[in-house]
Amino acid sequence: MRYYFLLLICCVCALGAMAHPMPNSVILLDIKSNGVAAEVQLPQSELELALGHKVALDPALRAYLLAHIHPQSLEGKPWKVQIKELHIQPAEQTATGPYNEVTATLWMEPAGGTSVRNFSLHYDAIIAEVSSHKALVSVRQDWERGNYGEQVVEVGVIKLDVKSSTIEPLIVSKEQGSLWWGCRSMVVLGMQHIAEGTDHLLFLLVLLLPAPLLVKQQRWDGYGGTRYSLLRLLQIVTAFTVGHSITLLAGASGWLRLPGQPVEVLIAVSILVSAVHALRPLFPGREAWVAAGFGLIHGLAFAGTLANLQLDATRMGLSILGFNVGIELMQLIVILLVMPWLIWLSRIPAYKYVRVAGAVLAGVAATVWITERI
Amino acid sequence: MRTIHFSLIAIIPAMLLLSCSKKDATTTTTTTDSTTTTVTTTSTATTDCSSAANTTAKVVCLAEAFEATLSSSQLSSLITSYSSTYAIRWSNLPCGINCRNGLQYSSLSSTQLAAAKAIVVAASGTAANEGYDEITQIMAADDVLNTAGGGSGYGSGIYFIAFVGTPSTTGTWQLQFGGHHLAVNITFSGGAVTGATPHFEGIEPKSWTSGSTTYAPLAQEQAAMLAMLSSLSTSELASAQLSTKFSDVLLGPNEDGQFPTTKSGIAVSSLTTAQQALVLAAMKPWVNDADSATAASLLSTYSSELSSTYIAYSGNATLATNADYVRIDGPSVWIEFVCQTGVVYPSQIHYHSVYRDHKRDYGNNFTF
Repeated sequence: MRYYFLLLICCVCALGAMAHPMPNSVILLDIKSNGVAAEVQLPQSELELALGHKVALDPALRAYLLAHIHPQSLEGKPWKVQIKELHIQPAEQTATGPYNEVTATLWMEPAGGTSVRNFSLHYDAIIAEVSSHKALVSVRQDWERGNYGEQVVEVGVIKLDVKSSTIEPLIVSKEQGSLWWGCRSMVVLGMQHIAEGTDHLLFLLVLLLPAPLLVKQQRWDGYGGTRYSLLRLLQIVTAFTVGHSITLLAGASGWLRLPGQPVEVLIAVSILVSAVHALRPLFPGREAWVAAGFGLIHGLAFAGTLANLQLDATRMGLSILGFNVGIELMQLIVILLVMPWLIWLSRIPAYKYVRVAGAVLAGVAATVWITERI
Repeated sequence: MRTIHFSLIAIIPAMLLLSCSKKDATTTTTTTDSTTTTVTTTSTATTDCSSAANTTAKVVCLAEAFEATLSSSQLSSLITSYSSTYAIRWSNLPCGINCRNGLQYSSLSSTQLAAAKAIVVAASGTAANEGYDEITQIMAADDVLNTAGGGSGYGSGIYFIAFVGTPSTTGTWQLQFGGHHLAVNITFSGGAVTGATPHFEGIEPKSWTSGSTTYAPLAQEQAAMLAMLSSLSTSELASAQLSTKFSDVLLGPNEDGQFPTTKSGIAVSSLTTAQQALVLAAMKPWVNDADSATAASLLSTYSSELSSTYIAYSGNATLATNADYVRIDGPSVWIEFVCQTGVVYPSQIHYHSVYRDHKRDYGNNFTF
């Protein structure tokens, strides 16, 4: 997806550009409805220097972290902090060279329903003991402001103020968002998903290629008339929409979970099948059922995007709604652009070549995807 | 969902690389053009500069000779206006032009390079392993890192020369020269050197052999600090020890004017004359990086301020393992020296160090 490139571009730019300060701590905040989830990444070498001994993922480390992480309301009321998970894994910061880091997943919750969007983060893990250490704080997810976790927004740096020899807390203050704002950004995400998701578009277009045509002796024949064409196009598109909406709902709400890889392979297979169908009718008259069936698979892939956001029920519901509206909007735009051409071209004998060329191209792309994804 | 982007994944980095190399190519071409036209000017200028009255006059003369070898686009990269934005834009990191001003050495023709080097020579000290000798060794270490698998981000060609303000013997301007592990910032005002700091020096590997020569450009710094700490008694060491640890210097790039309000460690005034002499001697490897007249003047200031100076350390006083750290903090002088785990040679330590002056960083022309 698009964000992989941004990441990639950053990596390429960073190569030879940045290198080795001692690695920093990184704090990534996900602003949820009733609290803030935080991923705290601590470079092992710096943590060991701070602790004065080897790192173990033990109760002592949990106690150390809890003693050094104190979010509180702007009025000074302390938040509750829980350590959900503790891992140790390899990492690398813009060519610091590889190193190990300890990752702590925290849940921080204000008492008595005070704002999760304005708080001061009193934090001095490692920094209390290692004066040269820094922690970079960013917001990774802020659904109500339309940030669903793809762009990390820097908030500030927590470090020793050398002049005063104090470690000042960092004020995290995010502007008010809204459910409407969050839902709207999901519509945009859904539209992007189709616009950039070549495989979904290709499946649909290839399935539509022979839709205006009649079948004669198990071969595609001439044009079936405007009414016939329109009806069949609508049937196929509606069936695909129904199919993917069902699994999008089921998958995103967590009722149904399938690993990503087989889903991706099946999506490529669906393109191959509809490409063959565009050459020779495999399931004439039953395109709508096939579209619905494969729609179920495409919906699972859509769901993966949302399931990863880990939202509460209301926000997840609105996300599914917004995301699906976005998908349908983009699909509609594409269909409206393609349909007149399809109906016009399918009247002329040369349409055969258009259909065959389209089917062959899609078939090749699908084959490449299948081999890539297996 | 994998998309058409699988092809883009290959194209985008390629485009980036192309755009980078294209830029380099353009610069080189302009360089060669202007060189041919200005050779005479350079040689005349060089001869004249040897008769300059003092360091500033000589550096300005050589700076003007260098300017005469450059194209107009190179000149606009070399010279910025005199402002704190450009003055403080330096780094110890191998972040190339992204964190620095000026012209990259590898983009210069041989004539231009010779003219650029002459400026840095004239502005630097002449002692062995200090001043210009140290600079060339720090740059050579980057070639060692490059061939030792550190990658193309390291190399003696990735050093930059810049003028913050226009060189003159009447106005105020700053010479910047630096790259990975090196930042030279010398401020000139009204025909005199008014600031030899901030000055960053670091080295990895801390020692290496090439042919029959062993290089260890920061060994004198380490030895002088070690001699100072070794002269302390157990109880003096206890007072000198800081309560926190350091894996890097505190006042590196972008930490201008951030000197601690309260000095930490042991007061030099509480030490014997012999120990005090070792404190002064420990400053010399940094102070002597400046031209000899400036160094002598600074050293006499620091000497007169010894009684209000503090020394402190963290980690081991042997300065041999990761996070061993030492600091000299006076009314004027500020020196930090730290041992860090190596990056390209992770089994060895390497050194980072920064020399600042509370009252003379950037010629005291900015407040932070």
